[in-house]
Amino acid sequence: MHLKYESIIREPLVNGSKTYHQVTEDICTPIENKPTRLWYIGFLLSVSLLAFGAFSVGWEVYWGTGVWNLNKTIGWGWDITNFVWWVGIGHAGTLISAILLLFRQGWRTGVNRAAEAMTIFAVMCAGQFPIWHMGRVWDAFFVLPYGNTRGPLWPNFISPLLWDVFAISTYFTVSLLFWYSGLIPDFATLRDRAKTKFRKMAYGVASFGWAGSAKHWQRHEMLSLVLAGLSTPLVLSVHTIVSFDFATSIVPGWHTTIFPPYFVAGAVFSGFAMVQTLLVITRKVLNLQDYITIGHIEAMNKVIVLTGSIVGVAYLTELFIAYYSGVLWEQEAFRLRVMGPYWWAYWAMMTCNVVSPQLFWFKKLRRNIWFTFFMSIIVNIGMWFERFVIIMALHRDYLPSSWSYYTPSWTEVGFYLGSFGLFFTCFFLFAKYFPVIAIAEIKFILKTSGDNYKNEMQSIETADTNHFIEEQSHHH
Amino acid sequence: MSKKQYWKGLEEIQPSAAYQESVANEFKEDLPSFDLGSLAEANTSRRDFLKYLGFSTVAATIAASCEMPVRNAIPYAIKPENVTPGVPLNYASTYVDAGESVPVVVKTREGRPIKIEGNADSTLTHGATTARIQGSVLNLYDATRLKYPTISGKESTWEAVDKMVADALNTMGAAPLYIITSTQNSVSGAAAVAQFAAKHPNARHIMYDAVSYSGLLDANQASFGTRAIPAYRFDNAKVIVSLGADFLGTWISPEIYAKQYSRGRKLSAKNASLSKHYQIEGMMSLTGGSADERYTCKPSAYGAVASAILSALNGGSAQLPGNLNEAVKKIAASLQANKGAALVVCGSNDKNVQIVVNAINNAIGALGTTMTFAATNNTKKGNDNDMNAFAEALKSGSVGGVMFYDCNPAYDSVHAKLIREKVGSLALSVSFNDRNDETTQLCKVAAPSHHWLESWGDAEPHTGYYSLMQPTINPLFKTRSWHESLLKWSGDDTTHYDFVKNYWMGKLGGQAAFDTAIQKGIIEPEVMPMSGASFGANVADAVAKASAMTAGKMEVVVYEKVGIGRGGAWSDNPWLQEMPDPISKCTWDNYILMSPNTAKANGAEHTDLNEVERAKKVFTLKVNGNEVKLPVLVLPGMHDEVIAVAVGYGRDKGAGKAAADTGKNVYTLVANNADGHAMYSSVAEISATTETYELAITQTHHSFEAKRPIIHEFTLEEFAKNPMALYNERKEELEHFTHGPEDQGMGHIAGKHADANESAGGEDWQEAFRENGTLYPNHEALGLKWGMSIDLNSCIGCGACTIACQAENNVSVVGKKQVLLAHDMHWLRIDRYFAGDPSKPDSIQTIFQPMLCQHCDNAPCENVCPVNATNHSSEGINQMAYNRCIGTRYCANNCPYKVRRFNWRDWNEADCFDDNVYTDGRRDDMNNDITRMVLNPDVTVRSRGVMEKCSFCVQRLQGAKASAKKEGRVLADGEARTACQQSCPTEAIVFGNVNDTQSQIFKLRYEEQKERVFHVLEEIHTLPNINYLSRIRNTEVLQSANPEHAEAEKHA
Repeated sequence: MHLKYESIIREPLVNGSKTYHQVTEDICTPIENKPTRLWYIGFLLSVSLLAFGAFSVGWEVYWGTGVWNLNKTIGWGWDITNFVWWVGIGHAGTLISAILLLFRQGWRTGVNRAAEAMTIFAVMCAGQFPIWHMGRVWDAFFVLPYGNTRGPLWPNFISPLLWDVFAISTYFTVSLLFWYSGLIPDFATLRDRAKTKFRKMAYGVASFGWAGSAKHWQRHEMLSLVLAGLSTPLVLSVHTIVSFDFATSIVPGWHTTIFPPYFVAGAVFSGFAMVQTLLVITRKVLNLQDYITIGHIEAMNKVIVLTGSIVGVAYLTELFIAYYSGVLWEQEAFRLRVMGPYWWAYWAMMTCNVVSPQLFWFKKLRRNIWFTFFMSIIVNIGMWFERFVIIMALHRDYLPSSWSYYTPSWTEVGFYLGSFGLFFTCFFLFAKYFPVIAIAEIKFILKTSGDNYKNEMQSIETADTNHFIEEQSHHH
Repeated sequence: MSKKQYWKGLEEIQPSAAYQESVANEFKEDLPSFDLGSLAEANTSRRDFLKYLGFSTVAATIAASCEMPVRNAIPYAIKPENVTPGVPLNYASTYVDAGESVPVVVKTREGRPIKIEGNADSTLTHGATTARIQGSVLNLYDATRLKYPTISGKESTWEAVDKMVADALNTMGAAPLYIITSTQNSVSGAAAVAQFAAKHPNARHIMYDAVSYSGLLDANQASFGTRAIPAYRFDNAKVIVSLGADFLGTWISPEIYAKQYSRGRKLSAKNASLSKHYQIEGMMSLTGGSADERYTCKPSAYGAVASAILSALNGGSAQLPGNLNEAVKKIAASLQANKGAALVVCGSNDKNVQIVVNAINNAIGALGTTMTFAATNNTKKGNDNDMNAFAEALKSGSVGGVMFYDCNPAYDSVHAKLIREKVGSLALSVSFNDRNDETTQLCKVAAPSHHWLESWGDAEPHTGYYSLMQPTINPLFKTRSWHESLLKWSGDDTTHYDFVKNYWMGKLGGQAAFDTAIQKGIIEPEVMPMSGASFGANVADAVAKASAMTAGKMEVVVYEKVGIGRGGAWSDNPWLQEMPDPISKCTWDNYILMSPNTAKANGAEHTDLNEVERAKKVFTLKVNGNEVKLPVLVLPGMHDEVIAVAVGYGRDKGAGKAAADTGKNVYTLVANNADGHAMYSSVAEISATTETYELAITQTHHSFEAKRPIIHEFTLEEFAKNPMALYNERKEELEHFTHGPEDQGMGHIAGKHADANESAGGEDWQEAFRENGTLYPNHEALGLKWGMSIDLNSCIGCGACTIACQAENNVSVVGKKQVLLAHDMHWLRIDRYFAGDPSKPDSIQTIFQPMLCQHCDNAPCENVCPVNATNHSSEGINQMAYNRCIGTRYCANNCPYKVRRFNWRDWNEADCFDDNVYTDGRRDDMNNDITRMVLNPDVTVRSRGVMEKCSFCVQRLQGAKASAKKEGRVLADGEARTACQQSCPTEAIVFGNVNDTQSQIFKLRYEEQKERVFHVLEEIHTLPNINYLSRIRNTEVLQSANPEHAEAEKHA
């Protein structure tokens, strides 16, 4: 027998004495049953938010960007704040699937599917903002480097906005492929269990004719590896490039070399918080507590306290460097950031992002579901404010004659709500029709990290070392 | 268990090496995706695939592309002589607004006047213009103008009108017929009126000015025996004292005075001398903003101050409140020391105060040097007492009929109420006004006269100085010159053109002389005659009366805004309505100006959070039993016991869309004094209400925050002592960045290297900073390289450039609500900053900084545009390709000068959506077919969603280059001029090719003024092509622009 072993010091990742079949049943049943009343309510709510968002955007496109309260001094407001916020949220999925894979973090299997889905939906939401914030969105294709007869006229390759176009679209493509390739075996499982003709056909198409042959698994693994390799640098690059939108400018408060690492840390921070928000609900609603355990939640809380502290250090570094640089414009920008008209946003950011996550140093709080849920919301509010605070560096820059102030109009709020609508519409569809936990991957770790298998190891753990060595070598 | 083994094939019992290898390999085939050979041989070849893809993409594009509307441009069926489409024609003419007449040159394109420039040949104005002159072309296209004559408000014909008026005149008998006009100084017009009066002896022509100068005129009558305004010569004055006269903004002839004034404000290190300008005033005026020393007092104290100066000149002394004693002492000393080169002017309409001022001018030898009655200024000739007599006659019912031209007494006269009651019932009432305004509505007959741009005529702005008027467009509507109407009604069927022509042919002696005069536009003496006058007024009596004016605890000043003036057609001019007031920076409204201390005491305090809170507290203002409610705008520099409100608002709907429904008419606060002169200051009471009202202010932060090196300012003494201070400061700051990476390897230290440069000529550090302050290569500028210099010492903040730019470049008007959202579009704005302590009005020093695209050679906007829509020309212009712009607004964010303007809404029906044009009720007339005729066809009308900004008037530069090229010569300096430069009355803006060592800009930047040159924010290496010249104030102390206490207030 080939021994699969993981120390029992590590918590089991699957509770409830699951067998392979049990796993399949647990994850597939919610998909095969009729949606609950709660699902319908949630879904309709999301769709109506989405519709309102679409209306708000339509209004803006028809009447012009002026229906937003942006002005000659403050060219970006909620639009780009929301963009950066959503992109940040979209970091957790890839981090979990790619980087944690490289770090051999087995606990990722319970949450990676949902996290990746969230990533994709978040990036979809994020993408809306830079598109619709354009004054002439119908000419948005000008940013693409396509051959043309105007010279040819190329986009400006030194503009960070153009880098954004490439960074975001690459990230989205790779994340989508990664996510979908993982889904294929699970779709096949659903297809094989399907009772109705339509289901069979739909999941059949979705699973690309997966037969579970060794060859298929081989290719599947190979693809996953390639995509993991591709996405690992992307996790770091995407938000780095988003931060260049600010860092390469000359606006005091934007022009900061610390931004790339600071943005990446912030992105992971907010991404994990969003995963927490969603999973705390999903595991309850779909009854998946055995797969998404307190252990999972705790592990993610640890990431949150780490990244929260990183951004905290970054905030303080910014202030110090502004003081230490001796550059008047920097000093003024940060003085106004802390004490100017937007002081409230700064302090909301500091409280939510730096102070409150420190409570996760307490194990009891880390393992508390309600507290985790509450904190995940707080962190996301804090991270929204972080982006808002940065972008509002615009409101008081070099020449005092142009100083201004900004509050959003209903269309801007509507657009933001609409992005939630899009996100949750997608998420509700995903939760209902897709396996929210990677069945195949859970099965892969079941025999090492399932509690029933772990318990069997009890005897080996306690056995004498020599005896164990003898036993193992005897088998071979 | 059986040990028997079955074999599956022969190769298994006799395994070959190949077989063994294949068994060891679990997956025998390669992954098919790596089999490129088979892919290339597939049935559907790669080329086919690309064909299908290409076809379907093109098909989808064609199917989905939006239908572009076809717009036909109709060519001339018969091409008029001299008109070539695309080539502008310029005509000399005369701008006339009431008595104000200014020689101008009108630029027309395809028969439409589109731009007004000053006539540079005039020795009076030297081409100076004001914001209103620049904006006057829009009045021509005002859709509110009457389009036909009316009788009792119904459309009529000129025949019917002529018949009706003739009948009424015949039946009037001896009852007096009043012809009431604003000041008119047309000589041919006077002849026409005389001809009418000869036919109808009961006719009396009386003139009055909406904002009266009767006090000054009558004082001059009493002092010098001439009821006229002298020609002032600010250019001859080394000391200028103004007692509440806003002579650079609104007082009599600001364009002439600004030009003259600027002569004394130019200085260089070699010639470090300036005129000295003292301003004593109650409110904060544009002129006060330029003053070297400014003191505040209540308007009721003008007499006392004038008397004190007069007595100080004679060695006496007087007791005045506040800093005024010190002020009087200083002023008297300055005047004494500069006898014969000093001038005192006063804005009061009180005859006695003006007599005292005349006495001062007499004492300091101003007559014949800085003012003269040998060429009187005819801008204001109105007589309040004639108007009072008319009111009496109206009251007694003896008036037979009345005719109004270019005046609106039902709105702006002291007798407005009486006129509104009585005029309707007169047998004959005719209005020649251009619109159905408050007065026209009272009249039976509206006989609209032409706009000056449609009219023949002339003017005599100063006695002996003539300016001729020729039409630049056929009348747009069925209007008729009022002179022609008068001629017609006196039985003379001569057309106005013939009348004017005959008049001038008679005067000049022939067609040729007339043609030359029309072409030149002006007939002027070569040198202004200067002569003294004997002063003969009873000074003691005047001093006694002037010093004893009733003072109030709070006094109100009724003033004219620089843009809106008396009201009239200006109230309906969207350009001028949206022009930020030079001092208050407020648009579209009138309001109560109040000092920070008074505001605080009344609960309307000014905070640093103005950007956040735009709703202003509304106050009730009570004057002479009349009450108006207006919002309060807190303005540093206002005397604590003085408030000020502007006229020209509270107009009737008939005045036009832009004019109606905003502000309050404060002419109601004006009353006559004992001499029968309208007084624009009186005792007032204010009380706060609970209401608020939003004011659209374009600049909400007043201080330039002392630490920020945006503006460099020195006292004259400092500058004379150490002219190199600024130069050295810049050098020290930028020298740190003048060394490239290769230098450092050679072990140079900054100081050493700089020394080496110094010996090499001293200017290298600027070039070294350009090259080495960045990682990127430097672009050599060969050939043309445009540059601009703005002299902060000459700039008076008048806003002429803002409107000139708006007219030249089709800059959109956005309306009040959008200004509130900071969506205003001005390409050129004038930043106005205050220094000093806001709680001490006398300490306030004002500075103006015109701010426009700096055309940076290392432009932050250019590298962030994702689509290259904004880029750099080889001539140093930062240019916009509107068609390429997708509107990410990143460039605007990254512009440290915040001069980029985004088309937030569809301002001009210029995008591809139907019916989404922005409307707010007040700016809507900008888009009708008539008003759109003002658009400059050389400049693209920007669609919504694109960024725009100053282009250095690239269309003018291209035009100048094209004509030079056509003539096969090098472009001469001064040939290409920007609109702002051309309009500037003080010549603060110099523009040209900096690569041309003979050009004015080169000489100024690198030779004459190199000590004063600086670039705004140059330390961030934007390398602007615009430089500023430091402000040199002829004063002892520069106030600090300390913002801190305002901040502290907010956080308390």
